[in-house]
Amino acid sequence: MTAADQGGTVHISDAAVSVELDTPGMTLNIGPQHPSTHGVLRLVARVDGERVSSLEPVIGYMHRGYEKLVEVRNYAQIITLINRIDWTAGYANEVPFVVAVERLTDIEAPERAQYIRVILTEMTRVSAHLLFLSSFPLELGASTPLMYAVRDREYVLELIEGVTGGRFHPNFNRVGGVKPVAGGGSTTKKQSQDLPAGFIAATNAMVERLRGTCITFDDLVSGNEVFLARTKGVGFITAEQVHQYGISGPNARASGVGFDVRKHENYLPYDKFDFVIPTETDGDCYARYAVRLAEIRESLNIIEQAVNDLPGGPLRSKVPRILKVPAGEIYVRGENPKGEMGYYIVSEGGRIPYRVKIRTASYSNLAVLPELMDGALMPDLVAILGSLDFVLGDVDR
Amino acid sequence: MTDSQSEAAVDGTDHNALADYAASVAEAVGASSWTADHGTVRLMVARSDWVSAVQAAASTGLRFFSFLSAIDWANEVEVGEGIAGDSVDERYEMLCRLSSTANADAVHIITSVSKDDASIDTLTGIFAGAAWHEREAAEMFGIDFVGNTNLKKLYLPDAFEGHPLRKNYPLLAREIKPWPGTVDVEDKPSTTNVEAEAGASE
Repeated sequence: MTAADQGGTVHISDAAVSVELDTPGMTLNIGPQHPSTHGVLRLVARVDGERVSSLEPVIGYMHRGYEKLVEVRNYAQIITLINRIDWTAGYANEVPFVVAVERLTDIEAPERAQYIRVILTEMTRVSAHLLFLSSFPLELGASTPLMYAVRDREYVLELIEGVTGGRFHPNFNRVGGVKPVAGGGSTTKKQSQDLPAGFIAATNAMVERLRGTCITFDDLVSGNEVFLARTKGVGFITAEQVHQYGISGPNARASGVGFDVRKHENYLPYDKFDFVIPTETDGDCYARYAVRLAEIRESLNIIEQAVNDLPGGPLRSKVPRILKVPAGEIYVRGENPKGEMGYYIVSEGGRIPYRVKIRTASYSNLAVLPELMDGALMPDLVAILGSLDFVLGDVDR
Repeated sequence: MTDSQSEAAVDGTDHNALADYAASVAEAVGASSWTADHGTVRLMVARSDWVSAVQAAASTGLRFFSFLSAIDWANEVEVGEGIAGDSVDERYEMLCRLSSTANADAVHIITSVSKDDASIDTLTGIFAGAAWHEREAAEMFGIDFVGNTNLKKLYLPDAFEGHPLRKNYPLLAREIKPWPGTVDVEDKPSTTNVEAEAGASE
């Protein structure tokens, strides 16, 4: 019996009393609008005090039905649509799709276009990971890293905008290559259609600058005691769970599964560049942070090599004005910042695909959440959610 | 679908190696036929062998559950362009992609589900991650996954009626207002021109 039950007044000195309150089976609703849910995600948790006994994610608030919408659009129109799936990595969403269509139609993009795709994909990865570096410490109570990450992300976005004309939704890929470059001047003069003036120098400067940012983060966040206490040993993902749920990207590589589409598939000419795939074996929130920070460094290495070895030549191969894709079925995947993204395209020989199945990384990465939260503490929820680095547009499609 | 166990163009991969690989996994899972076009390995299995085929493929090292989905093969379509030929065997095609995390090996295990009896055994006993994918396929295509106890709607509102990814389900926005982009996809007099802006340094 507590003081309150007996009708007495609860005083602050009776705080110990409330600890003995019986609180099993309390349902706590989080979201859909909640800062830690990265969009509109609803979580229904059964909690016993601070301990979560079960948790169910409720998704679909962002469902836009892309798989239906692409069935009434031609291939060029679909490119516009799909870079909105994961809006933190708009450019990277386009690449596996155009590569799949190119393979079905037997068109090969010129080497220069392929290099530009690599440069922009890696810039997208850097910008997406910088967004993670800004939001993750913020959710754990550190607001300063956000300032550094968001400021330096602008340098990357400016370069992407300079080439594509768009900061988030470039719509820059075309079947057979890339679009004539925005800011390149009149499209009737052949030399002015290329990358904007000073792009290579500006990119090299950005790479140097962001290497400094990585060091700043090492100094500011990586060894921070509070950060370590909140992330080390929290939210373990096992290698078995990685396979069971199809977890990919940095989340898988933090659990010792060193798979990266860039090393195993040839959707872009990554074999021309010297880079490593960072992996960690701990599988906790800190490991996922460490993998992403290391990936920024590797992406900067790739960007540096690609801009300095950039081959000449056209930006786009000859493509029929009306693109009819021969009948066939193909799956092409790419390594997006969030993980493996792929398109399974069923073509019946027309201008419109018969069916496109979109495999997104965040969907599979989020599905494991109930297992991670089983028995975890409520305050760890925020750390675990943040470390999974999903985007609801990528979950709901 | 055709059983093209012969030559086919495979882009960027060694076709013979891929075909050999497809044949070996096809034998391991007991597939009735297979294709390896465009670098995409597809193994056709009987519906009754669905679970055992996935299990057999997983034990060959393809332990990574990538996705599960369906294709609605229909002669009459409400949206988009239909099938190319005269008619197709109307059915749902179930598709499960498994891959390896040690190399680029991957297969798609495919089976047919009749439209009269749209049900198939669940894969949740093998892959926990299949649960969400099956819920999605259940609401989008109306396929029943026997043994999956939680098939409530994933994306759609609870009161939603119909199965939106079925080919006979109209896209309401297109019913109300035809897509203005339709104009762009009409055949022009010449279909062989390249886009003038395209060739950069011609």
